[in-house]
Amino acid sequence: MTDFQISVTLVVFAVVIIAIAFDVIDMVLAALLGACVLAAFGVLGTADVHAAIETAGGPLALLFGGMVVARMLETTGVFDRLGALFLKATGGSGKRYLILLVGLIAPVCALLPNATTVILLAPLIVSAARALKVSFVGPMVVAAVVSNSAGMLTLVGDPATFLVGSSIGMTFGQYLRKVSLAGLLAVLVIIPLLPRLMPDVWNSRVELAGAAEVPPITRPAFAAFALIVLVVMVALFLFGEDLPVHIGPPGVAIMAATLALLLMYGARVEPVEAVLRDVDWKTLVFLAAIFCLVQAFTKTGLLQGMSIRLHDWFGVQFTLVALVLLASIGVLSAVLANIPVVAASLVMTKGYLVAAEAVPELALGPGFTEWPAATIPVFIAMMFGATLGGNATLIGASANIVSAGICAREGERVTFMGFMRYGLPITLVQLAASALYVVAFVWLAC
Amino acid sequence: MSSEILGFSVRDASGRWTGLNVDFCRAVAAAALGDPEKVKYVELKASARFPALQSNVIDLLMRNTTWTLSREALFKVQFPAVLYYDGQGFLVPKSAGIKSLAELGGATVCVEKGTTHEVRLPEYFRLHGWAVKPLVIDSAAGVAEAFLAGRCAAYTSDASQLAGVRARAPGGAQAYDILPERISKEPMGPVVRGGDAEWATLVRWVLHVLVAAEEHGMTRSNLEAKAKQMQAIAGWRVFSGNDDRIARTLGVPANWAARAIRAVGNYGEIYERNLGAATPLAIERGLNRLWTQGGLLYSPPLD
Repeated sequence: MTDFQISVTLVVFAVVIIAIAFDVIDMVLAALLGACVLAAFGVLGTADVHAAIETAGGPLALLFGGMVVARMLETTGVFDRLGALFLKATGGSGKRYLILLVGLIAPVCALLPNATTVILLAPLIVSAARALKVSFVGPMVVAAVVSNSAGMLTLVGDPATFLVGSSIGMTFGQYLRKVSLAGLLAVLVIIPLLPRLMPDVWNSRVELAGAAEVPPITRPAFAAFALIVLVVMVALFLFGEDLPVHIGPPGVAIMAATLALLLMYGARVEPVEAVLRDVDWKTLVFLAAIFCLVQAFTKTGLLQGMSIRLHDWFGVQFTLVALVLLASIGVLSAVLANIPVVAASLVMTKGYLVAAEAVPELALGPGFTEWPAATIPVFIAMMFGATLGGNATLIGASANIVSAGICAREGERVTFMGFMRYGLPITLVQLAASALYVVAFVWLAC
Repeated sequence: MSSEILGFSVRDASGRWTGLNVDFCRAVAAAALGDPEKVKYVELKASARFPALQSNVIDLLMRNTTWTLSREALFKVQFPAVLYYDGQGFLVPKSAGIKSLAELGGATVCVEKGTTHEVRLPEYFRLHGWAVKPLVIDSAAGVAEAFLAGRCAAYTSDASQLAGVRARAPGGAQAYDILPERISKEPMGPVVRGGDAEWATLVRWVLHVLVAAEEHGMTRSNLEAKAKQMQAIAGWRVFSGNDDRIARTLGVPANWAARAIRAVGNYGEIYERNLGAATPLAIERGLNRLWTQGGLLYSPPLD
């Protein structure tokens, strides 16, 4: 990539983000136009688009599968029933509603893909908000933010945690001991912020009376089969990769979507065309375009190239480097999808540690696991930044985009600034808490 | 680049770079960009060289880097060809009277951190049942300083690098000996990132062109005449620039091969200018002779 192309990439990226932030143009159009300009300047070639789709394929498959399965469950009446139960559990209190929402999403997202969870639970959140006579925008943003943060609870909770953990040879158990507490902190710090961020929801109180009555399910056999599809999907998410033939989460999502379509087609509930028409294609196209832009950004090598600079600036002050990475990757992750950011940051962090002579050059290759204890906080901080930074803005994580898409379909448009009103304060507090965790981690390890 | 490997890459007080590695960079720039001066030299420590290459800070690594299986396989880089065949040797003060490695048993040996030498030194001595005390130091300059200050009985590195240290030693080159044994193979050459086949191909063939030119007596001074004289031979059309299919495929100027020779001369000229008998290093060509003269330098056909 020439210097001119690097400049073009940075300018296009900035213009797209500004256009989305200030609502100058529809966000899908902004992202697509950005990708087209990069293609016209030779920044994005066929190989780059292939690489972007290779990265985006997994998240897009997860979203598509989640949307189709959610659409199937909608026709069973199961959501209405669960929604009524959820509403009953709130007792008509907005405060209980928000706390239950956090408590419901966090454990599910520790094991299942974030955006898929948001899609599956969105009908409950929206219907309960309507019954409580409050806006569902704030709760839907919180749902996305909690789902992203809860991904840090386990090694497999988020592609970013898995990517970092596995590349430094961290096991599921080691992750639980060293990092999970930070994930829990990131979720818990959200709760005290809720009364300030959405006082109207937090302080609301309604008499539920008949509203919380649990509706009957009209087609129990169809509902039972639909629930079997859901159970199969969840089971495969959890154990698919342990089967003799490994089935990764994207493959599981496509299989579940196919089973859902087959069930609706076989039971003559709805034609396939009608279900596919209801898939949120706008969100999927937006994500694909954003992944192309991010591919161009990572191709500039600016992030990876920081490895040598980090060493020049900070030498072997690993705690300082960890905090700098936490903040800077947090900011970057707020405007870039976190998977490519993590992939590029890993190259940068490993390069920095080799240049700092903390590890031999063999550490640059895959499979190196002998990372000295002093280097682990650098990786953990980088992971925190990448995972939590995405909570700040609408385009920071796929769950955020999905959440905004659901709100739009339900009649409430979420703007970039509207999302940031909730997302930014939460992210700042989460990053501060994570920084304290990293410092405490270093202090305890000494 | 390192800026302190005499004969390979040195930057003088005025900021001018010279050496075998530098000349090769100039040849590549002449072939790829049409101008041997279009090179930005980046000074790197040994430990920063692969991070710099992997993270796009540099496009071509020329820092006396040994071609090994693990480097090429694990770091996703490519070593297109060998520019210089070297081996790990030992420099000792003549006054110590040491004539072979066996006499170094139990001695302290200075070695640079993060290099293949650091790994091979204890391995080799262990294999022969000899003791050794490695004194590991951060930079090549630091190792030389420690050795010349008498902190270790010997200095181990690539024999070519030792020749450079010896040439600049305060007591004069004659006060030091390089022991005859070589404990490793150190084929050194350019390194590029993996995944850019055209770039790797161009770098590889610039090197082959330099070798082929020497083999057929083409020099900087007789380039035009020789190219004209041999243009009927398929393998020599690359120098005339008349057949631009290869240049177009690689995305370089049509007369790329001739430009490389014009910029720095053939391999033999580059060698003599930087390492040959007239230089302070005066390193025998040894394995770096042409295959026709008993060496390992061999260019595949250029047709």
